[in-house]
Parts: sequence; C-alpha cells; structure tokens
Amino acid sequence: MAQTLPYQQLTTCYYALTAVVLPVLAFAVNFFLKKGKAAGWISTIAIGATTVFAAIVFKQQWNAPLIHATIPWFTIGGTAVNAGILLNNLSVLLLLLVNVIALPVHIYSMAYMSHDEGFSRYFTYLSFFCFSMLALVVVDNLVLFYAFWELVGFSSYLLIGFWFTRDKAVQANKKAFIMNRIGDVGLLIAIMVLFSQYHTFDLNALFSADGLVANSTLTNGLWINGTSTIPAVWQYLACAGLFLAVAAKSAQFPLHTWLPDAMEGPTSVSALIHAATMVAAGIFLLGRVYPLFSVHELDALAIIGCFTAFMAASIAITQNDLKRILAFSTISQLGFMVMAMGIGAYASSLFHLVTHAFFKCLLFLVAGAVIHEMQHIRDENKLDFDPQNILYMGGLRRKMPITFITAVIAGLALVGLPFTSGYLSKDGILIQAFEWSDTKAGVFKIIPILTLITSWLTAFYVARLVFKVFFGKFRLSEVNPGLKLHVHDGPWKFNVPMIFLAICCLFPVFSLNPFLYEHAWIYKSFLPSNFLERMNPYHTIIPIALNILSLLVIYWAYAVYVLDKKLPLKQNNWLFAFSYYQWYFNEAYQKVFVQPVLAISTGLFAFDRKGIDGLIHFFNRIILWVAKLSAAIDRYVVDGFLHFVVALVRQIGNFARSFQTGRVQYYLLTTVVAIVAWVILKILI
Amino acid sequence: MISLTHYLLVGACLFCIGLYVALTKRNAIQILIGIELMLNAGILNLVAFGKFDKAANGGQLFALFAIVLAAATTAVALAIILNVYRRYKTIDPNKVDKLKG
Amino acid sequence: MSAAQILFGLMSFIALASAVYVAASNNLVRSVFMFFVTLFALAGLYVLALADFVAVTQIVIYVGGILVLILFVFMLSGRETLEAMQHQPKRLWKLANLPAFLICALLLIVLFNLFMNTNADALPWIKQAVHNNDVIKAENTMTENIGINLMTRYLLPFEVISILLLMALAGAAHLSRKEAGA
Repeated sequence: MAQTLPYQQLTTCYYALTAVVLPVLAFAVNFFLKKGKAAGWISTIAIGATTVFAAIVFKQQWNAPLIHATIPWFTIGGTAVNAGILLNNLSVLLLLLVNVIALPVHIYSMAYMSHDEGFSRYFTYLSFFCFSMLALVVVDNLVLFYAFWELVGFSSYLLIGFWFTRDKAVQANKKAFIMNRIGDVGLLIAIMVLFSQYHTFDLNALFSADGLVANSTLTNGLWINGTSTIPAVWQYLACAGLFLAVAAKSAQFPLHTWLPDAMEGPTSVSALIHAATMVAAGIFLLGRVYPLFSVHELDALAIIGCFTAFMAASIAITQNDLKRILAFSTISQLGFMVMAMGIGAYASSLFHLVTHAFFKCLLFLVAGAVIHEMQHIRDENKLDFDPQNILYMGGLRRKMPITFITAVIAGLALVGLPFTSGYLSKDGILIQAFEWSDTKAGVFKIIPILTLITSWLTAFYVARLVFKVFFGKFRLSEVNPGLKLHVHDGPWKFNVPMIFLAICCLFPVFSLNPFLYEHAWIYKSFLPSNFLERMNPYHTIIPIALNILSLLVIYWAYAVYVLDKKLPLKQNNWLFAFSYYQWYFNEAYQKVFVQPVLAISTGLFAFDRKGIDGLIHFFNRIILWVAKLSAAIDRYVVDGFLHFVVALVRQIGNFARSFQTGRVQYYLLTTVVAIVAWVILKILI
Repeated sequence: MISLTHYLLVGACLFCIGLYVALTKRNAIQILIGIELMLNAGILNLVAFGKFDKAANGGQLFALFAIVLAAATTAVALAIILNVYRRYKTIDPNKVDKLKG
Repeated sequence: MSAAQILFGLMSFIALASAVYVAASNNLVRSVFMFFVTLFALAGLYVLALADFVAVTQIVIYVGGILVLILFVFMLSGRETLEAMQHQPKRLWKLANLPAFLICALLLIVLFNLFMNTNADALPWIKQAVHNNDVIKAENTMTENIGINLMTRYLLPFEVISILLLMALAGAAHLSRKEAGA
C-alpha cells in the first residue's frame, strides 16, 4: 500500500483482499485438479472463509470513513493509473451480500450438481464468478471495474452454457454474451468520456460526495469541470453508455431478453448469478456513478425502470416455466431498483437490492429443489415432460414441507407483505415514487400508479406460482395414474441454505420495526443528510392500500388456482398472447436486429463472395492472363526470336553446308558462277 | 597480220572448253585434261602478249614457267590420282567421299 | 589474207575442234589423244605468235612429259576405269551437264564481249612497245635473249621454280610409292 494507513484500516484492506483472492485460489486449484468431488468442498470452504473475512470487513467498515488504498499500477504518458480497493458502505455491503448469498448456493450446489459430470468444472466456474464479482465490488478505478465487469459477464457466459451440449443453452449463452457486449461497449464509451473529461479513473475521486463529478455542472449546453469544458452531449453520451451497461447487466428494457434464456444454466447458478448477484452489478454500477446523472437523466431511468418492471411482471403472470416466471420476476424487481434510482430513492434501491437478493435467491433454490424432484419423477417413471413446467406440478406442500414453507416466506417477501424484508424495501420505493411524482407533472404521474399495478401483478404471479406448485393435486398423476412418487424434501445441503435464506427474508434481519422502512439499518446508512422525515400521508396510505389489495389478489389467485373457480379473463385473447409471448420482444429483436444483421451479413458475405472475391478473382484472372500473355510473349516472341535466330543460323548453315558437298567440281562451278556474276555486274554497272 | 584479239578469242574459247571439261567429267584424268586446257589457254595469252616485250621477254618466260608448273602439277595430281585409285578402286572424285559428314 | 592468217585459222580450228572433241568424247583414250592434238595445234599457235622456244618447250614438256604421264596413270588405274567408261551412256548432252554448259557459254559470251569491246592492239603499253620498237619480229631469234633473261632478270623465279619442281618430284615420288598398308 502506497499510502500509510492506520493499522486498523490496513488490516481491513488485507481482509478484503483475502476475501477477493480466496475464490480465485479455489478456482486455480480446481482448474488444475480437473476431476474430482473435492472441487465442491474446495470452493465451498474458500467461499466460507471469504464470508468470514467479508463479515469482518463489513463489521469494521460499515458506517466508518471510507478506506481507499492504492498502489501505482502503470503510467501512460503523464497519466498514472493506480490499482487499489475502495471500501465504503456500498462496497462492503455488496462484498458481504455476495458472500452471504454465495455460501448457501455453494452448499446447495454440492447436492444439486452431485450427479453431474461437470461437477468439478461447475465449481471452477463458480469460484471464478465469485472472484470476479467480489473484485468488481471492491476495486477503486474504472479500468479495473471494466475488467471485472467483463469477467463477471464472461463467467456468466460460461455458466449459462454450462451444459454446452444442449443447443438451447448454447443459444442462450450466446444471446447473453452478445447482449452483455452491447452493455460493455456502453460502459467503455462512458469510461472514455469520463476519462477525457476528468483525466482520472479513480472512482473515489470521481464520484465521492465532493468529487469531480459532483463539482462539475451542466450549463448552457456545456459540461464544465473546473477548467475543462466540453459540450454537454458528451455527458449525455456517458450517461447513455452507463445506462446501456446497466441495462445489459441488470436486464433492463431494451436489453432484458437474455435473462429468461439464461435460465438454461443450472438452477443454482440462476439463483446466485441471475437473481442475486450479477444482475445486481448493474444497480451497483448505478450506485457507484450515481452523482453523474442529472435530473432529466434520472427521469429517463425512472421511466425505463418502471416500464421494465411493469412489462416483466405482466409477462410473468402467464408463463408456465417455473424458472422463467422467476426470471421475469427478477427483471421486474430490477426494474424497481432502477426506477428507485431514477426517482432519487438511492437508499431504498440498494436496500431493495439486498432484500431482493435473499428472497429471489431463495425462490430459485426452491425452484431448483422442486425441479430436482420433478426430474426424479421423470427419470424414475421414464416419462418425457418438461420438469420446469408448473402445469405438471401441484400439491407438493405435503411432500416437501420445508421447501414449501421457505417458498411461501420468499413469495411473501417478493409480494411485499408485512413482516418480511420485501415489505420494508418495496414499500419504501413505492412511497418515494408517489412523493417524487408530486414534484412532477404529466406523464410522470403514471409512474407510481404503474408501480402499484406492478406490485399487484407481482402478488398475482407469485400466488399463481405457489398455488400451482404446492397446492391442489399433483397434476401429472391425473394423467398417469400409476405414477410412482418418491418426492420429498432435499438433503440437508438443500434445506440448510434455504432455511438460512428464509430467515434472511424476514424483517428482524433488517429492521426491528416491521412496518417502517425508515428504520432499516441499511436504509439509514445510505440516506443523504437532507432526508425528510415522514411529512405526508403516503407513508400510511400506500402500504395499507397496497397490502390489502395484494391480499385480495392473492385470494383471487387462490380461488382460481386452488378452488378451481373460473378465471374471469379468457386465456385466448390478445392480451394473454401478448404476455405469454413476452411482449414479442424476442420476435421483434429477431425481426429488427437479428434478421437484418443476418441479412446484412448474408449480403456482405455475398458481396464478399461475389464482389470482393470476384474482384480478387478478376485480378487473379487478369494476372493470370498477363502471366499467360507474358509466357506467350516469352515463348513466342523471345523464344521465337531465339528460335528464329537459331533456325536462321541453321538454315544458313544448311545452306552453306549444301555447298560443302565434297564435290570438287561443284566448288569449281560455284566459283565460276561467282566470278561470272561479278564480271557481269562489273560490266553492267 | 594476226591481231591480239584473235589470240584472245581463241584463248577464251579454249578456256571455256577446258572449264566445261573440268566441270562435267566424272573422271579425274579427264578433269586434269580440262585443267590443262585452261592452262594452255592462259599460256596462249601470255605468249600472244609476250610478242610486245622483246627486251625482257616477260610473256614468253612466264609461259615457260607456267608450262613447267603445269608439268609439276600434273605429276603430283597423277600421283594423287594413283593413290586414290589404289585406295578406292575408282578415279571418280565424287565417289571419294570418306570425309563427308 | 596472208599465209600466216591462214595458218592461224587452221591451227585455231584444229585446236578448238580437238578441244571440243575432248569435251564431248566419253572415251578417255580418245580424249587423251585428242588433247595431244590440241597441244600440237597450240604449239603451232605459239610459233605464229613468234614464240618458237615456248612452242618447243610445249611439245617437249606437255607432249613428251605430261601426256605420257597421263597415259601411264590411265593404264595403271586398270580395268575398272575402262569398264566404268564403257558403261557410261553415250549421250553427248546430259541434263546434269546443262548448268556447267550454260555457265561456260555465259563466260564465253562475257569474255567475247570483253575482248571485242577492248581493242587489245590499241592498249597504251602495246602502243608504247610498238613506238619503242620493242616488238618481236619474225626475223628475230629470241632463244639467246631468253637464256640471258632467265639467268639475269628472272633468276629468282627460275630458282624458285627449280625448288618447286624438286618438291613436286619428291612429293610425286612419295605419293606414288607403294605403301605397306595400302
């Protein structure tokens, strides 16, 4: 460490570094060990130790002055780039969160993946992901941030395509990778713009409370930072780039379509990466660069977040694939977070990020357990059905009680009912959305209402999910009466993580007061100093209205799915189809981007084949012709000349030889002829 | 008085006949005769012009030299012809072609 | 027409006619003897040209030497030559001889043309000789003069000729010698 830090901070830094490095050690060990069941334990122990270190760091750093330790990394020209770690509330919170989520998932995975051939490879990738993610949250400059951002995307790619022999998995990881590339380009552009404006990569220098960004202004179409002034369009570009990065990583509209497909990876991966941690990286990025966004850009964020939340929720209500429902739910919740960022509810957004990580991870683990059992049924009875389809499930609450209870807790947290963590974080967002809309006019009034509707939709699809899976009768048995059902809760490696996460979904972990989100300790820590205490009636009305209606919606779902009442909405109208086909985004992207790109590619290929190759072939042919011509010239002209000379000489020789007959009289005759001729000429001339 | 031109014309006729003989005959001896005829034509000219050199007698003396040389030539040529005959059993010069490629 | 001119015409005719016979005849023996006649006629012409010493030498060397040599060789070359001659076609004009005849005729025309256009008697040095009275007359005896000239003015050519004759003699003797391997 270049700077002299107090001993306490220095040890904290070392702990944090250890926390980051341990998973990569596990990765290296697993990578070189190749095969073996030890991989799971190695990774799990590594992440366990990391969790301990992260907890220590968190304990020491939470609400403490930030630690920023750097060493010189490299120098280009006059610009020195430092590498280092930045430990503030945000990073230590995520450091701990990632570990606390990753540890149960690791334990769970050991059971979940135990029969998979790629067990060792799975944990290798998983450790690699943990390393990337942990490094991402603690690094202090944009270059390293970008590097780990890429690595996170890359490990996600590896894990989505974990079963790389399945075509769908390969398609999915390709899709995810391409979508993420778009975001990466945005991030790269943003980094370049920021560097050209501020000449530093240092996150702390840029985005701290009185950092460079906070002190620069946008006036009269100019982006002014001390002495450096560039057109404001660059600031818009940087924000757009950052938004693209966030949208890609956190699956926001319009780059959200990869996330549902990413469910092709193992469920435990979905739980860790595509529900709790990696997708949170986008929100984390927003949290890091929050000061950069101006009011209008925040408005845009709010609109997009809100739209994404509503859209994803509306899609989730009609999906039948268990994991797909959860994936859209994740998109929806991430939309909430982005919207919260947009409306200025910075603290609520991060709070929701934390709570969401727990309950969504738990939901995925539950889904994994259910799918695991469904696969057992399928394999045992040698049937062929999709083990993820909730239409085949039902009545599992008696068979899998622990799973059922944890699922209910997580579901309630997702809906945001009281006594759960979700209530605390989500209601905060809703209340602040209403507060925010008071200061706005026009279209912005819709946002809180849409958010409310989204909440009810959330309640509906969660209820639908839970009722379809755990209530009623097991539907597969109705079709196949002789079905053997050996369904039960998973081993302790399933149950312990799920119970742990379920506890984390309850209110005491975050706030002792189950009704007031303002009392949550995470919330408090992120609050700006000018926070306004409950000053309007929203804080009372909205939670009550929301929850009563949510309960009604849940009851409605119960009536429809458990008591088999008629659904008042028909399933064959266009709204249903619109939702069922996920708003046709995939088709639209296929039409708008993929097919034109393919068409352009085909065209370019044809152009390449016909035009460029043709040109090359044309030149080829010309050169060939020239070569042939020169060969012909060589052969017929040069050689011909030589041959002509040779022939001439030969002819002359033959001609001369013809005189050399060896006949003396002939010579004499010739001589006389010559003389006579000469004399005649002499006379005549 | 016999003019010089008469001698020259006779010499020319003789030379042409000798040349014809030398060109056409297939016999080394006859060719030799042809050559002797041409030589005699030349000697005749020398003698005819020698009439106008009383003091030095150049024409007559060179005629004498020519006769002597012709004799020597003939002697050598006949010796060669004999040898050729001995070797090839012919005196046709066209058939003596061992060196011909 | 004087007697000299008649004699010249006669001698010329004999010489040319015998020469034509030499050319025309396929019989070697006959042509050799006709050549003998030609040489005699030429000797007569030499006499008419007032070169009596040359005429005598002609008869002695040519007729006495060369002709005898030719006959010897003819006889030594034996039967094959004679037989080959007898088998030769009797035609006077062979098509193969046409080019030779044409060229000879052409040469003759050229020479005739030349001599007719050039009046040899009007040449400057001849006129000079006539003017200086350097012309041999019929009454002059040139033998003595020739001997003196040969030993004085033409001594070097005379000696060179002697050596040449010696060489020819030796060469001819060497060539005619019967070789062991021949």
